[in-house]
Amino acid sequence: MDKLNIIQKTVIAIVLSAMVLSVIVPLLFFFSVAFSSDVEMSRFPKPLFPTFALTIKVAPAENNQYEIFYDNGEGYRSILTTGNPSKLETHFKRQYGVTVPGEKLLEDFSKTRINGPMEFTYPKNLFFNFNQFFAIVNNSLPALKNSVIVALYTILISLTIGSLAGYAMARFTFKFKELINVTLLIVRMFPVVGISVPMAVLLIKFGLFDTLIGLALLYSIPNIALTAWVTSSIFIGINKELEEASLIFGANSLQTFMRITMPLAFPALAASSMYAFLTAWNDTISALILTNRNQTLALVVYKAIGTTSSGIQYAAAGSIILILPALVFTFIVRKYVNQMWGGVEL
Amino acid sequence: MNLQNQKMTELPVIDGLKRKKNNQKSLLHKGMIPYLLLLPAFIYYAVFWLTPVLSGIVQIFTDKNGNFNLIENFRLMIQADLFDKAIMNTALFAAVSVIIQYFLALLLAVLLSRKFKGSKLLMFIAMIPMAITPTAVAILWKTGLVKEGWVNTILMSLHLIKEPIVFLNAEGIAAVFLIILIDTWTVMPSVMIILSAGLQGMQKELKEAAYTFGANKWRIFKDITLPILKPSIITSVILRLIAAIQVWAIAVMVLGYNKAPFLVERIAFYVEIVPGVETSKMLTFTLSFTTTLIVFITTVIYLRFSKRKTKHGGDY
Repeated sequence: MDKLNIIQKTVIAIVLSAMVLSVIVPLLFFFSVAFSSDVEMSRFPKPLFPTFALTIKVAPAENNQYEIFYDNGEGYRSILTTGNPSKLETHFKRQYGVTVPGEKLLEDFSKTRINGPMEFTYPKNLFFNFNQFFAIVNNSLPALKNSVIVALYTILISLTIGSLAGYAMARFTFKFKELINVTLLIVRMFPVVGISVPMAVLLIKFGLFDTLIGLALLYSIPNIALTAWVTSSIFIGINKELEEASLIFGANSLQTFMRITMPLAFPALAASSMYAFLTAWNDTISALILTNRNQTLALVVYKAIGTTSSGIQYAAAGSIILILPALVFTFIVRKYVNQMWGGVEL
Repeated sequence: MNLQNQKMTELPVIDGLKRKKNNQKSLLHKGMIPYLLLLPAFIYYAVFWLTPVLSGIVQIFTDKNGNFNLIENFRLMIQADLFDKAIMNTALFAAVSVIIQYFLALLLAVLLSRKFKGSKLLMFIAMIPMAITPTAVAILWKTGLVKEGWVNTILMSLHLIKEPIVFLNAEGIAAVFLIILIDTWTVMPSVMIILSAGLQGMQKELKEAAYTFGANKWRIFKDITLPILKPSIITSVILRLIAAIQVWAIAVMVLGYNKAPFLVERIAFYVEIVPGVETSKMLTFTLSFTTTLIVFITTVIYLRFSKRKTKHGGDY
């Protein structure tokens, strides 16, 4: 019916490619930064793709020393003159992200005594920024562990309590149902900062301040309500005859719930667990308010950026570690989530 | 059955009986089942939601000497540095970002709702920013917005500018718009997904019928597509507004504290930068209460304005 003419097709193509570029290009540059060495960070213009090797020029100098030249996009410049292996090693590591023993470098450079100034190429240590992130940012490794644990706690609490409530909302008619429904809506919409500050006081009272379970208790608040909604909409769709058949064959309500209803509700549970995971994984403001030492990875990355922009490549590497689990988790449960969103195909 | 002896709380038993007249014996205790199932959630919310909310409300009406005082904390808050700017910026940010994001998302959703080769792949690409943690988004854009960053690289290679721009010195409205730009990059896809879901639920027959009766594309969009999308739009706008009012991490990470003050940015400022001071404790309480209040008022006004109460559950 509505055939497009060539102009409309062109406009659509332009809009869509603009969209693709505006998503992909920043991500490419970002990855490039995360793999950049210190010298590459001061480079301008920035490369779209990361470099995987370093090329330097070395000239022999007096007293067994070597002069090192680096090309910063504007021709070779003298950077350093030394003959000290450990100094060389540190310089290559810190500035270029190249981890090669100093003795090996000196051995390579000694060829210049015969051949004159030469160019050398070394592979970059691609994990250097990632190692640096964990090495220089306080608490980053425990924080990664904390984030995983808090997310698991949150999923566990939200799914257990939420799916029970969701089942009740879908299957039974009872008094106050409408009121409970509205309460769930309010709790779900309630701004997380509104609850975090007084929650800190409560958790101190319970001795749960600065603990992982304390954080999970907070993150579960919106997610129990969310799980209740998501699961109730699925439970309504599940064939009731199946449950009744199970009851007739002598299973009690709990057994029916666990063996028949739960497996059928799996997509809803997968979607809810994704939301629970993302709440816990992505939050910084509540973690900032509710923790001191037991920080989560998102908070550590937030703090890593500090006030200056130096060393931002380490923070970038840290954020890639932060992004990956969320991406993986999102795309594993993607198809279930799509069912929840009314079947947007991907 | 002696119904007179039933207490109010046991009334659902009657409902249960009405629903299933056969099998009456097991239904007597079955009436309690929904309450048993809801009990954990009820206890949870009583302890971890209602208690903090109420104690928070008590706190904001208590002055530093522990006495009841209706306005003292609000006076403190209003007189605090940058509070007026934080309010203005939050309002500006919420309004402008939601409008821009909906315009773009609707455009893309309508374009992508046509099935063509590669539309699935495009939808997938559009979704990527959604899955990126906000903290990481902030760092991503900070690497771009520094003077030697990739934003200047792009602008200069397109010959749009001659000298690198120092974005991070942005102040006032410019700073807010910088944050809006970053937020749109992250959030627009999720809005688009919701709208796409609404569009896919649209029946093709409706459109075809309109065509047969001679409606043009704009009429179809205005009179069929938009009304069908309305529920998805209303629900997602509310979710967006709530999130937009709570913006802070991007602003702090990209620009630093005090550069682009927002309500929640102020809370983080008092928690992180000046902790331990008595006034900052009171300020965090009052600010978080105010933020919550603003979220609620905005939601209510918006729902009234859109004249159609959303059904909770189901469509979001």
